[in-house]
Amino acid sequence: MAARVLQQCVRSLARPSLRLFPVNLALRAAVAPAVTVHRPFSFAADSRRMRWLGQSRISSVELLCRQYGDLPPLTLETIKDRVMYVLKLYDKVNPEKIQATSHFMKDLGLDSLDQVEIIMAMEDEFGFEIPDAEAEKLMTPEEIVQYIADKKDVYE
Amino acid sequence: MASTAATRTAAGAAKVVKPVFSRDLDEAKRRVRELYRAWYREVPNTVALFQLDITTRQGRDKVREMFDKNKHVTDPRVIDMLVIKGKMELQETIHIWKQKTHVMRYFHETEEPRATDFLSKFYKGHDP
Repeated sequence: MAARVLQQCVRSLARPSLRLFPVNLALRAAVAPAVTVHRPFSFAADSRRMRWLGQSRISSVELLCRQYGDLPPLTLETIKDRVMYVLKLYDKVNPEKIQATSHFMKDLGLDSLDQVEIIMAMEDEFGFEIPDAEAEKLMTPEEIVQYIADKKDVYE
Repeated sequence: MASTAATRTAAGAAKVVKPVFSRDLDEAKRRVRELYRAWYREVPNTVALFQLDITTRQGRDKVREMFDKNKHVTDPRVIDMLVIKGKMELQETIHIWKQKTHVMRYFHETEEPRATDFLSKFYKGHDP
């Protein structure tokens, strides 16, 4: 049973995609992972699924993959956007005056305790601890982005 | 004579004393930052556990105020002593050894602020 279904899947993979009804793609997408993940229980269900597969062409490989839950991968752009977003939410800074290279103490006039609060907000945003020995050196948003990219292995 | 001369030269040079915890100012400041982090993260739990009538932001502002009161200190041993006292307060707050009244004492709600200008002091009765 399972072997027949898998053969059908492989044959549809090998053929180029041919979408008959774009509306039914969502239905097919819902059906296709169910087919590959669960074993068919009965002949009747199996034949129904095979008929569906026969009628529809599964378009891309991703629809037949298992789907795990995880965050989208970090890129330098997304890290920078998130860092600037968190900084703009901080009430002691002026949102218009923040740039990537603005120094917290010299340009924005913040305290060392304010800088600690900012680093704690970054910890909460990205979900990992930043030890104080390295946190005291991060004085511009650019440096924060570099540090997070170092720790999370994000590179161009 | 010789002893007073020796003490005078010793006072001229920097005195070397036994440190409490940290050897220099940077290490002391690092301890202060760690304590601030711990207090900052503890404030929402305190407000919830003691059922205080303040917001988290007011609590955090009060923590910042207490830290800013000692901002001018430069002696590492004094800073260490203040950090130790702050840690004791933090421990008492985390373990709920304090009570609501002890935590609210930081806010000085029932005390009148002392008069600073001449006229207020005159009305009160000149209590310098």
